[in-house]
Amino acid sequence: MLKTRLNLAVLSVFLAASVVSAATPASQKNAPTAPDLSGFAAKDMPYDKGEAVLLTWPSGPADVPGAVYQVYAASGKDWVKVEEFPAGTKLAADVELPFWAWDRHAALHVVQLDLPGFFNDFKIGNEYRFKVKYVNGKVTAESSELPAAPKPNLFNLARLNNLLLLIVTTIVFFWTVSHAKRKGGLFIRRIAGLDAIDEAVGRATEMGRPIFYSTGIGAMSGVPTIASTSILAEVAKKVAAHDTQLKVPHFDPIVMTVSKEIVKQAYAEVNRLDSYRDDINFFVSQDQFSYAASVDGMIHREKPAACFFIGHFMAESLLLAEVGATTGAIQIAGTEQESQLPFFFTSCDYTLIGEELYAAGAYLSKEPMLQSTLKVQDFGKAFVMVSIVAGSALLLAGTWFKLDTLVTVVKHLFKAY
Amino acid sequence: MTLIKKHIPLAICFIVGILTLSSYYVPTQASEKYVESMNKWENIVAGFAFLLGLFSLFFSHTRKITRRVDGWGYSLFVFVGFLAMVVPAIVSNGKQMVGADLTGLGWGYRFLFNALSGTMFSVLAFYIVSTAYRAFRIKSLQAGVLFAAALVLMLAKVPLGQMIWETLFGWTGGWDIAQIGQWLMDVPAVAGKRGIMMGLAIGGIVTALKIIFGIERQYMGKD
Repeated sequence: MLKTRLNLAVLSVFLAASVVSAATPASQKNAPTAPDLSGFAAKDMPYDKGEAVLLTWPSGPADVPGAVYQVYAASGKDWVKVEEFPAGTKLAADVELPFWAWDRHAALHVVQLDLPGFFNDFKIGNEYRFKVKYVNGKVTAESSELPAAPKPNLFNLARLNNLLLLIVTTIVFFWTVSHAKRKGGLFIRRIAGLDAIDEAVGRATEMGRPIFYSTGIGAMSGVPTIASTSILAEVAKKVAAHDTQLKVPHFDPIVMTVSKEIVKQAYAEVNRLDSYRDDINFFVSQDQFSYAASVDGMIHREKPAACFFIGHFMAESLLLAEVGATTGAIQIAGTEQESQLPFFFTSCDYTLIGEELYAAGAYLSKEPMLQSTLKVQDFGKAFVMVSIVAGSALLLAGTWFKLDTLVTVVKHLFKAY
Repeated sequence: MTLIKKHIPLAICFIVGILTLSSYYVPTQASEKYVESMNKWENIVAGFAFLLGLFSLFFSHTRKITRRVDGWGYSLFVFVGFLAMVVPAIVSNGKQMVGADLTGLGWGYRFLFNALSGTMFSVLAFYIVSTAYRAFRIKSLQAGVLFAAALVLMLAKVPLGQMIWETLFGWTGGWDIAQIGQWLMDVPAVAGKRGIMMGLAIGGIVTALKIIFGIERQYMGKD
């Protein structure tokens, strides 16, 4: 009997304890807890020039609304608060690096600090100290201080996709060049704008009027300007052979100097050096609209039989081409500026579209070595087309079947970092 | 002679090309400084080349004046314009403002140069109209499509066009001209533009490789 009463008493105590436990206020039960910041790490930021450090620490249940993290840095004794952000943000998944260079799935807070912005006496290789503090009302936690020294990296791994593509392009480039050396010429489709050069030069010869050739307002370092000078060489050869008048007004003095050499060489190649004049190429102005006004005036007064606008053009494209059109000149244009192409389409007889501008030199020169490189452009276009179709299909499949990893992989592969 | 005119320039082009290409993948300060110094060199060369341009300009216009070729009077304005800007620039020590006052150079810039540049730019508006007129003459199927697209866009962008559309087709409910115009800009126009851009990018890469590896040499005056 006594044993039964004792058992009942023990049971009652346990019951009472459980009831008391269950009656604990909710606020006390969900009381904010401080995160464990022992996993705080500070190291050099990978793939940069050596001015940033990367701070990481584990994310966890303490990352509740209202809580913030404060990041401190010091080069000497004094600490500087360099960053403060809500606890639920700045996670590993937010870092803009591809999957082959960064683990996006790690449960980490990540802060990238560009130190020159915080320390005027910043020097690469110097050691700096860092710590992070968690603040949520009265609950606070602080990590230990950790040193880190930023250092430059020799390779930006994030650009690996770009490098691989470049290597493949270069291999294909050399393969096509060696193929051209072994097997000779290739079939190239006709480009109406370039075939019309003969027509334009012939027309100028018959009419006894000059030909105007503008290389645009680009510098010599621009690829479109280089492509334009290649076309100028071929035009100059035809002009020299027909003993027609050529005028090349320039925006850039360096382009003018290079063009002088090119035109002189072209005259020499067709044995008409006696017809060459040094003022075929002449400088006009390095101001966009002054250049346009001057060339417009010349076109209007001299009424050329043909105008070439090939190179880098901006707002002056229409100013030049429209005046040329009103004089009745046959006009051939080409630019890499897709925003200017509509103006050339509507006011010129022939327009070199897209990569035709870069293919023109090879097309006109008929040199097998140069023509072979057009194959690389074709391979490139085929690659782009296949990539677009395959990439779109994979993205569609990934989205449809909720395969986030597949979507991420495809997006990262095709992104430039 | 071949060494100076051909091999050395090609070697410089190759080395500088490879280094500049590498600097995209190597994020060190050395590569950043290399790109910066290359840009500075370009500016220095451009500075000297500008003198060449100036000589060329004066030479060609002097010839026109001395030979009294057609329109030689315009050539006089080159020298007048040059002096009108250079003399005040020397007098005002290259400054456009002294305190709140315009110098002669500043006055020339604001009231002559900027006004003339603005005039040239505004001429574009008239040229766009004449170009549009020529482009919209429907002579082929493509020109017809161009005209239809342009008509829709004009209606979409101009309030009067939207009012006309509302009056004529408002009863259909779901067909908003502004949305149709935006769709034309966002989908077919962007698709075409991107196609051209991709072709240009590939062409640019191949041309750059041709220049770096010395296959394209026309810019050097060939041999």
